[in-house]
Amino acid sequence: MLGVLLLVSVSLARADSIFVQSVELTPENGDYYLNASFNIGLTPTVEEALNRGVALHFLVEFALIYPRWYTLYFWNKRLVELQQTYRLSYNALTRQYRLSYGVLHQTFNTLENALSVLGGLSDQPVFEAALLDEDRVYEAQLRMRLDTSRLPKPFQIDALGSDDWDVSSSWFRWTIGR
Amino acid sequence: MNRSLQKLRRSLMTRGMRYVVGLALILGVVMLYLLSTASTNTTDVGNDLPRLLGFGVAIVVALLLLVGFQLVLLRRRLKARIFGSKLTLRLVIVFTIVSVLPGVVMYGISVQFLAGSIESWFDVRVDSALESGLNLGRVNLETGLRELQRKADSMAVSLSDGEMVTPVSTLNELREKAAVNEAALLSADGNIIAFSGVESEQLMPVVPNPSMLRQVRLQQPYLAVEEDGASKLRLRVAVPVNQPGGETQILQLVQPVSERLARDAALVQEAYRDYQELSLSRHGLKRLYTLALTLSLGLALLSVLLLAILFSNRLSSPLGFLAAGTRAVAQGDFSLRQPVHRHDELGVLTESFNAMTDQLSEAQRAAQHHQEALSAAKAYLESILANLSAGVLSFDKQFRLRASNRSAEKILGADLTQLIGKRAENWTASAPRLVNIWQVARSRFVDGAESTWEQQIDVDTQTGKQVLLLRGSQLLEGEEKGYVVVFDDVTKLLQAQRYAAWGEVARRLAHEIKNPLTPIQLSAERLERRLAEKLDASDSDVLNRSTHTIVNQVSALKDMVNAFSEYARSPEPDLVPVDLNALVSDVLQLYEASRPRLSVELGRDLPAISGDSTQLRQLVHNLLQNAEQAVAEVSQPRIIVRTWMASDGVVLSVSDNGPGFPEQMMARVFEPYVTSKARGTGLGLAIVKKIVEEHGGSVTVSNPESGGALVEIRLARATGMPDTRQAAINQ
Repeated sequence: MLGVLLLVSVSLARADSIFVQSVELTPENGDYYLNASFNIGLTPTVEEALNRGVALHFLVEFALIYPRWYTLYFWNKRLVELQQTYRLSYNALTRQYRLSYGVLHQTFNTLENALSVLGGLSDQPVFEAALLDEDRVYEAQLRMRLDTSRLPKPFQIDALGSDDWDVSSSWFRWTIGR
Repeated sequence: MNRSLQKLRRSLMTRGMRYVVGLALILGVVMLYLLSTASTNTTDVGNDLPRLLGFGVAIVVALLLLVGFQLVLLRRRLKARIFGSKLTLRLVIVFTIVSVLPGVVMYGISVQFLAGSIESWFDVRVDSALESGLNLGRVNLETGLRELQRKADSMAVSLSDGEMVTPVSTLNELREKAAVNEAALLSADGNIIAFSGVESEQLMPVVPNPSMLRQVRLQQPYLAVEEDGASKLRLRVAVPVNQPGGETQILQLVQPVSERLARDAALVQEAYRDYQELSLSRHGLKRLYTLALTLSLGLALLSVLLLAILFSNRLSSPLGFLAAGTRAVAQGDFSLRQPVHRHDELGVLTESFNAMTDQLSEAQRAAQHHQEALSAAKAYLESILANLSAGVLSFDKQFRLRASNRSAEKILGADLTQLIGKRAENWTASAPRLVNIWQVARSRFVDGAESTWEQQIDVDTQTGKQVLLLRGSQLLEGEEKGYVVVFDDVTKLLQAQRYAAWGEVARRLAHEIKNPLTPIQLSAERLERRLAEKLDASDSDVLNRSTHTIVNQVSALKDMVNAFSEYARSPEPDLVPVDLNALVSDVLQLYEASRPRLSVELGRDLPAISGDSTQLRQLVHNLLQNAEQAVAEVSQPRIIVRTWMASDGVVLSVSDNGPGFPEQMMARVFEPYVTSKARGTGLGLAIVKKIVEEHGGSVTVSNPESGGALVEIRLARATGMPDTRQAAINQ
């Protein structure tokens, strides 16, 4: 069993507001676990909205792809597709940031703390090892982004074609095999 | 074919267009509804705002394309000058103005109003009031925290004072004294030493968090307002408890915020958050509403424009048909019909047009029928008139020539059609005989006031006298009052009657005269034979001479009587193909010994003529005898016999250099017993004429300017046997 680790991209072309710092897929007990850390930077607009009480939803998306040489990217077979939603909100009364994932939640006094916890993804089971065939090379994709469609509608209008509301990483891709 | 195809395509297109417009309107309304609900934060269908907007824009663009397409079509029709397209353009413009102006005005007002009303939501005072309320809550909580901290401090002192036998009961006691909900004594690393809570069933304290432990270990009190799991607020305070042994323990107090305060604070916070959110999103809201308004304006206007174009087309299309129909009617085509599908005035108009063309075509058919019948009747009458052998002339009330038939022209030898409508003064030159008829008719109709009359007149022609039998009648009925004169040329009839009478006379005369001639001659000869020897020489001489004279005269008389009977006998000619040249040369052999010089010029390749060769020989004999007698007293007599081919047959001419026909005899030269000679029966030319006429030919006599006389005989060529050799065989 070979775990493939790829890492540290000080990400490049576009000035992403989120970028992947490190990524690790670890096989353990027949499952693959994902460890990753994102560096999250909010734009001033998003930060102001957050501090004024607008809840932000962040999506972490993972996909495992079996690339076929003869097809274009879009028709590649997606073996695994995972999506996790994190909710980040600010309580003006208590002046605390609250990070929720499902029923779990955590409060933070500072935004930095909240973001650093949000950016750390540890030991997420993503797929069963049995899914992978031997002697095959797969492509894994990971990204994190602000889900603008769950913003209040007026912000969605603002977000259309505007960088102010674009808080996302580009897809981080790497290959794995057994 | 092509036209109907185009029409079909057009109607399909119009129908399709109608559906497209309807669809666009429905989609537009749905989209606008979704947009309007979008601002309220529902998670309904219209959640995907960008897609919704894109959809709306797509509809607008599609409508725009459609309108553009329609306008291009309209422009093309305008350029092609299709009738009704100008009206369409005008209607489109009017519809557009009527719909666009209020739309744009409403749009402007709405946008202004929108911006104003959205701005008016936001108020500094509301802002600061909410802020203050929030602050109030915060202060309240903080006060609670300080209170709790004070209690914690005093409890911490109590707890650190001396040895605790039973930390739990001490804690419980202290907690109850301080009236705190929950108190827990923890070791520095967070392990629970003692716990006391109001609610007996709660066995565990609220879990300490790492930051709190860290802070307290640094001898700092930890104060926090927290949300518990049920989203209720609670106060948590942690203070260090420094035991005498140098060990630091942690006292954690938890007190829920009073329910009322919590509720109020939550409400304030909620309101504050909503307000902030709203104020943050005002730009977006304005954009959203403006966008929705603009889209709806675009949809409405474009739909209206499209509908305007369609309606205008529909309104003006009957005009196009009416124009085409009128043009067709002007050109005489009454076949155009247009089905009527509408019940407004245009429909009525179209229907009336259809009815009109129906009636027109019916009337045209009837008129045509009538005209055909008329012209047939006229043609029938005309053909009757034309084929009448009698000449017909009609005059109007002023005695101008109105009409004539072919026979009239033939009899009068003039082109009468040129004289129609002209007065009698103009006729003299071209139709002198018409003037004669006119004079008679005028005198009978006007002077004699007779409505019908009959008269025979003699008129002079270039070839002799012509006898016309006129019958006149006045037209009394009908609009066209006038006179009709019907006339026949009876010249030939009269001539024939005369010839027949002459023939009869001659036959009887010959018969009556011939009988006594032989006894006379025999008697004279017997007298001479019996008496000659009895008489003396002188008497005998007288007797001889007298007898001789009697015999001679009787013989001459016989000849004459024979000639008469010859003329009168007139057997029917036996017409066979005859070679004229051969016949002429045959006859001429008999005259070779005659005194006058004969010159013969026979035409070559003459066709055979149809004739009776015996009679033709007689004819040639007669002509030659006449010529011989004519040149008897001329010093250098000369006779020329010629034959040649003419367009209508063969011509035989005999000319001499004698004195020619006497001028006064010219007109009656062919009548029997008309002669210029001292001794002659006067039957020669009469017989010639009779033979020629029986052969269907013509004979003319004239005195050429070079002197002498000329007789020309035209004979028709034999029909069916043009071959001269065949003719020779028959001969």
